[in-house]
Amino acid sequence: MKKVYLHPLPIRIWHWINAIGFIILILTGAQIRFVDSMGLMSFETAVDIHSWLGFILLANYFIWLLYYLFTGKLFKIYIPPFWRPVEFIKNSIRQAKYYGYGIMVGDKNPHHPTPDSKFNPMQQISYLMIMALLIPIQIVTGLILWDPHLFSSLAKLFGGIQIVSLIHTGLWIFFSAFIIVHFYLATLGHTPMAHIKAMFTGYEEEHEEH
Amino acid sequence: MRAIVIVGLIIVCFLISYLVPLEQAVSDDTKACLRCHGISTLHKKLDTGESISLFIDGKKFEKSAHGALDCSSCHPGINLRNHPKPRKITSKKDYIKEFSPNCLNCHPKNALMKPAVHGEIVKKGEIYCSQCHGSHYISSMKEWKNKANFTEYCMSCHKFDISKTLPSKEKLSLKVNEQEIKKSVHGKFQCLVCHDDFSKVKHPVYNFKDKKQYRAEMNKICTKCHTDKELQKNPAHYALSKTATCIECHGYHGVKPAKVAKSMPENQYCLSCHSRPISKKMKNGETLSVQVKESDILNSAHKKLKCTECHKEFSTTQHPIRVFESIADYRAKAKDICNNCHQDAVKKYDKSIHAEALKKGNQKSPECLKCHDYHKVTFITKDKRASSELCIKCHADSGKAFKDSVHQQAIEQGKQNAPNCASCHNSHDVLPTNIAKLGDSCAKCHKDVKTSHNKWLWNPPVRLTSFVDVHFNSASCASCHTKVEKAILLTLVDRAKSKPIKEDEVAKALNIDAKTLKGKIDQNGDGKVQEQELWQFMSSMKSKTNANLAGRIDVLNPNDAHKIEPKNKSIKDCAYCHNPKASFKAKLEVNKEGDKPIKFEVDSKALNAAYAIPNIKDFYVLGLTKIKILDILFFIALLGGIAVPVGHITLRILTAPIRRKRREGK
Repeated sequence: MKKVYLHPLPIRIWHWINAIGFIILILTGAQIRFVDSMGLMSFETAVDIHSWLGFILLANYFIWLLYYLFTGKLFKIYIPPFWRPVEFIKNSIRQAKYYGYGIMVGDKNPHHPTPDSKFNPMQQISYLMIMALLIPIQIVTGLILWDPHLFSSLAKLFGGIQIVSLIHTGLWIFFSAFIIVHFYLATLGHTPMAHIKAMFTGYEEEHEEH
Repeated sequence: MRAIVIVGLIIVCFLISYLVPLEQAVSDDTKACLRCHGISTLHKKLDTGESISLFIDGKKFEKSAHGALDCSSCHPGINLRNHPKPRKITSKKDYIKEFSPNCLNCHPKNALMKPAVHGEIVKKGEIYCSQCHGSHYISSMKEWKNKANFTEYCMSCHKFDISKTLPSKEKLSLKVNEQEIKKSVHGKFQCLVCHDDFSKVKHPVYNFKDKKQYRAEMNKICTKCHTDKELQKNPAHYALSKTATCIECHGYHGVKPAKVAKSMPENQYCLSCHSRPISKKMKNGETLSVQVKESDILNSAHKKLKCTECHKEFSTTQHPIRVFESIADYRAKAKDICNNCHQDAVKKYDKSIHAEALKKGNQKSPECLKCHDYHKVTFITKDKRASSELCIKCHADSGKAFKDSVHQQAIEQGKQNAPNCASCHNSHDVLPTNIAKLGDSCAKCHKDVKTSHNKWLWNPPVRLTSFVDVHFNSASCASCHTKVEKAILLTLVDRAKSKPIKEDEVAKALNIDAKTLKGKIDQNGDGKVQEQELWQFMSSMKSKTNANLAGRIDVLNPNDAHKIEPKNKSIKDCAYCHNPKASFKAKLEVNKEGDKPIKFEVDSKALNAAYAIPNIKDFYVLGLTKIKILDILFFIALLGGIAVPVGHITLRILTAPIRRKRREGK
């Protein structure tokens, strides 16, 4: 059994704050939107929590960003090797095949995470999109909706508050679905709890082939 | 004692009478009477203090028409032997009244009635024979007529207080003051110069309906000499003569000199004509009174001004004749006069909805005069209730709505800072409610309104007043501070210019007549704009302009905005608006130049449709205007998110035997 230190402490802190934040934001978001049919809390409380958490996650995002920027690992971990496109596509297909077929027939996961390459090609492309694009957009649209007057010029850039709201709601829908899939995929380690444990301890256990 | 004196007097008279030369022609009877009555000092004092002379000049009497008659012919039953004891006479007038019927003994009434005018006088019985004809020295009428000059002849009747009641019940005095005529510019004229239809033998009787007709007829007399041509020399006077009769300014007989002294104070000079009930005719036939009451000016804010300080083109030497289409035209131009001094107010007014409406032909819309009056020019009173009444005169509904408000209560409590109409709507630059930022008006008094709302209206973690602005910009104050029905108002705007697109611009863009706009928007004509109709209209607008819909929350009926509730009754629950269930109506508003916007009821479901995104770009109310299809997408995504692991697990369970076999095979 080999142990790989995949998740350094700042990243684990960031991840769990983000995880809890995401779930509560999705729920309070739903409460705000479905105030007429959901009774978790009052509209005012939902807005208060949503606003507080929005800012917490904004700050949290910078833990992730600054950590990876200062360690210089951002590029290695998150940027797919676009200079080797064929190999990357091949690897991606191989990874997809594993989740769709190999995992059923008992194949081994073709990707072996290391601290410098912890994501398989599919994870890499997804997390790059999420971390570099979707979360920043969600944060910015959230800020605009938090105070449309203060950020009115930003709203104009997006093409009006309606579009800002459309994007924010659209991403809420996406993240709601994503988080379910994300949680399920987290159970696909060599044991169902392997990845989850690793997210607490930082160490991913890997079965060595004998 | 008194009896002795009288008897003594009679005896003395009798003795003296023998010394008095008696007229030969008079009858013996008369001679006997003249023994006493021939004494020139003989008189009688009445209780009223009047003195009646009892002296008869025998010579004059002899020459009179009645010279040959006995005294007893007229004074029946009186002779020397049968002289009544001193009789009681209350007054001269009573004596005349009592005595006059004696004339009728010889001059039968029906004969006296023959000349129409004389008949009228006899019939009325207000003037007695002797008042005109005298008593003892009556000359023959024929002779007198020939001798008397015309004026004397006419005045013999018209000096009396005679009058004529017209069918209109107006009483027309026929008395003529001879002195007045003598002092007038016509002092040397005889009556007949003017009244040429009358003569000593001709006295036509006219039947005027009323004084107005009478005055108009009398005008004809003046214009005989003062011809139209002559009057035209002075255009102001000529214009005047077309609206007022000569008599109204110049009087009847005491005709005043035509020229008003130019040296008199200017205001007096103008008022010498304008204090009279004169009027001016407009081109369309309307009549405008141009009478100015001096008291109005003296009580006005302009009491120290001269007429010409406002009416600059007029002076004691200049009186241009101006032509106006109508009273409205005249009133609109009156603004130029005010503009001489009150440029700021006029400038503001020119921007107002009142000015626009007037320009568009709404006659009811006010200009300077409607509120400030003509010459009464007043400062609008400081009494808040009274000055509001000025607006309420036209805006009655608003006044009624305001009566229920916390502001009206403040006025009634006499609070110094209580608002009236002008506090919010301005006095001169009154604007349509959706253009005027009425929220700003509230903030004029409620200065700390942002900070006070910010105490509870903010989004954590930072308390920013801009979050208050978000709400102030998209909901009127009345939305939360009244208890009336609310609505979402969608205003058609040019998004690039951030300006409303007005009705005529819409008509131009769609190439239709503005009147058919309603049909163009509400195509099925059911009085409500359905979703499809709204988007269709928007798409045709957008193909030609940068059209978009701006939104705001307001009261459904604008007038209800006056019903502001006390603070503790205002709405503080966010979910009142931020709720898909909030049953707000929706209205589409197209602004109209100089008028209130045209409003169309819109199916409020349109705001929850995906089409709202491109068409209502800058208005979104959390919950209330949420796009419904996104809710469906959310549930689909959730189901999808769950379906992935469920499907994958299912496959993994199903394929577990394969993996087991493979492991075993190893």
